[in-house]
Amino acid sequence: MTDIPATPPAPSPPPRWRPLRWSIALCLLAGLVGAGFYLHGHDDYGRAGSWALLSGAVFGYLLQRSRFCFFCNLADWFTERKASGVLALLAALAVGMLGYTVIYGAWVPYPDAGFLPPRAHIAPVGWHLVVGGLAFGLGMALSGSCLSAHFYRLGEGSVRSPLALLGAIGGFILGFRAWPFFYMQAMADSPVIWLPESWGYTGALLLQASVLAVLALVIWLRAKPEPARPPTPRTLTGILRAVFVERWPGVVGGVSVGALATAVYLRATPLGVTAEWGRLARLAGSRFGWISDTLPGLDSLRGCNPVEAANIFSPNALFVIGLVSAAAIGGLVAGQFQPRKYGPLHLILALIGGVLLGFGSLISLGCTIGTLLSGVHALAVSGWLFGAAMVAGVYVGVQLMIRIE
Amino acid sequence: MKIRYAGLIAGWVLAGLVQHGVADFGPLVTTEWVAERTDDPSVRLIEVSVEPGVYETGHIPGAVNVSWHTDLVDNPARDIVNRENFEALASRLGITPDTYVVLYGDPNNWFAAWGAWIFKLYGHERVALLDGGRKKWNAERRPLSTVPPTVRRTQYTVTTVNEDLRAFLPDVVKAAKGEANYGLLDIRSPDEFRGRIIAPPGVQELAVRAGHVPGAVNVPWVEAVNPDTGEFRSKEELQAIYAEQGVDGSKPVIVYCRIGERSAHTWYALTQILGYEAKQYDGSWTEYGNAVGVPIENPSQTIWTGQ
Repeated sequence: MTDIPATPPAPSPPPRWRPLRWSIALCLLAGLVGAGFYLHGHDDYGRAGSWALLSGAVFGYLLQRSRFCFFCNLADWFTERKASGVLALLAALAVGMLGYTVIYGAWVPYPDAGFLPPRAHIAPVGWHLVVGGLAFGLGMALSGSCLSAHFYRLGEGSVRSPLALLGAIGGFILGFRAWPFFYMQAMADSPVIWLPESWGYTGALLLQASVLAVLALVIWLRAKPEPARPPTPRTLTGILRAVFVERWPGVVGGVSVGALATAVYLRATPLGVTAEWGRLARLAGSRFGWISDTLPGLDSLRGCNPVEAANIFSPNALFVIGLVSAAAIGGLVAGQFQPRKYGPLHLILALIGGVLLGFGSLISLGCTIGTLLSGVHALAVSGWLFGAAMVAGVYVGVQLMIRIE
Repeated sequence: MKIRYAGLIAGWVLAGLVQHGVADFGPLVTTEWVAERTDDPSVRLIEVSVEPGVYETGHIPGAVNVSWHTDLVDNPARDIVNRENFEALASRLGITPDTYVVLYGDPNNWFAAWGAWIFKLYGHERVALLDGGRKKWNAERRPLSTVPPTVRRTQYTVTTVNEDLRAFLPDVVKAAKGEANYGLLDIRSPDEFRGRIIAPPGVQELAVRAGHVPGAVNVPWVEAVNPDTGEFRSKEELQAIYAEQGVDGSKPVIVYCRIGERSAHTWYALTQILGYEAKQYDGSWTEYGNAVGVPIENPSQTIWTGQ
């Protein structure tokens, strides 16, 4: 069902000298470093541009190396009762939530004063998140990944990801067309609930930590034992293989993503991957007259808003370019650049899934990263509601795919 | 339903227009005004705090930092920042001649007002103070940020220098001797004005004479603010406070203090809020009280003993 075999991987093939793959990886690495320097010195981009590209690269590498993929991990749980991936997701939520609170302490000393923390993804809590989450979850199951994972899988040579991302453009355009309806009916009058406003930081942290702990405990108890990873040989080759070739333990990825989310929030905006893709869809849609120029309320909400960019590359575009390039480096070096053949049915499902992904993430102003991860980190109820609906969507989608296959 | 849509879209468009910084821009802007425009590229928010390091611990989101003792002066000489360095500073801060410059700072905007005076002196039209400064922002428990914003560098050119906003020692001596039709306003504490003390306890910068410039009246700077919020008093209250000491706009006035920064606060109230003609004497008492051969009024007769 997924492009990449689940952890732990089958014993990896003996290391082979692949000059072409290594050269491409080296060129990409040189390109990233060079572009980082170039952007830093560029008047239009500066530190922010360089940061966006390089933090995106770190994110992409983390995703690829630790297979931090919401769908694969959830599907592993639903179909095989494998716990490690879902626990990695919970670890990412917990670590980022703590990191955000440290920053909040400096930025919003009084959470009850009625002001929301700058830029955090705290959205209105309305039924649009249920619709968006279900659509997104279903789209993940049909296309094989969420949007962030499709981006990193571009770098692994996935055949379905380009189709899903193309479908997402269509989904975004549908979402833009439906936007006024959803805004008026679901968002405009819905409350924006930031937990610390009524619970304080301690209360909000304890509440979220309890929910995460209960989820982790239930999953831990109901999981099937996974084969232990073979110990890393204490040799230079052994360490290099562990870092560059073998999949990283899921929890390493989870904790690292939580830490990176904190750093990215501190320096720029919360983690998110759909804003630029949505902007491109908006540009395309407006050009052909499919989308109204005025979308009420879109700019007033917080999330991965597809807004006008001042430069050719928006910070989110640079972030995604960094993500895809670094994931490609990770995949090429590890020998995980493995295009797979799919029948026409799967390709069509990938396209349809992509449409659902685009639609769901536009209605929810973000995806697994921008709305779920960055929302729960921000101590926002919107992240939880989207997450719950999305998990339900994945569950339904997984059952559906089992029937189809 | 259609009417609801139309109203919503109209409101949204209107909100968009207001967001672009033109509405309600005056010599003083409110915390709400600033909070709505922290990302507005036509507005540049600048913190000028007296105490170094305050900005770094948390500032208003979107604000850039300007240091009064390096960015706004002309070290090593005692002078305000020169034209070339001011242009470099404004360019670094991404300011164009059309930018709405809003300054704020710690205790009651003292040095923010001094910064505003320098922006006005170098001919920048659109200058405002955030009324109440950091004090009011914090009192309202609004969010802060620890991340300096990334601003796009510009090429700022000064076209006019309003030298008439500034008084030098000879202008003050002329006014003191009655050779120029200028009023004099001393905004230091009554004890300093009367010569009971040369400077408040603990300050380093001293004069070797006590008292004030002959002919000056005394309205301590703090009279101009509401002590609870740090905001300027209302226009009517300010008018009455200064009129009581004979400063009513009928003739231009020279404002001074001890080192020439707090007086910018009163200068701002007189010129920008009340519309009076006033010059700020940045040499102030640390220049005048140290100058040789100038007339001095010293009601308390305190003598400097070098102690």
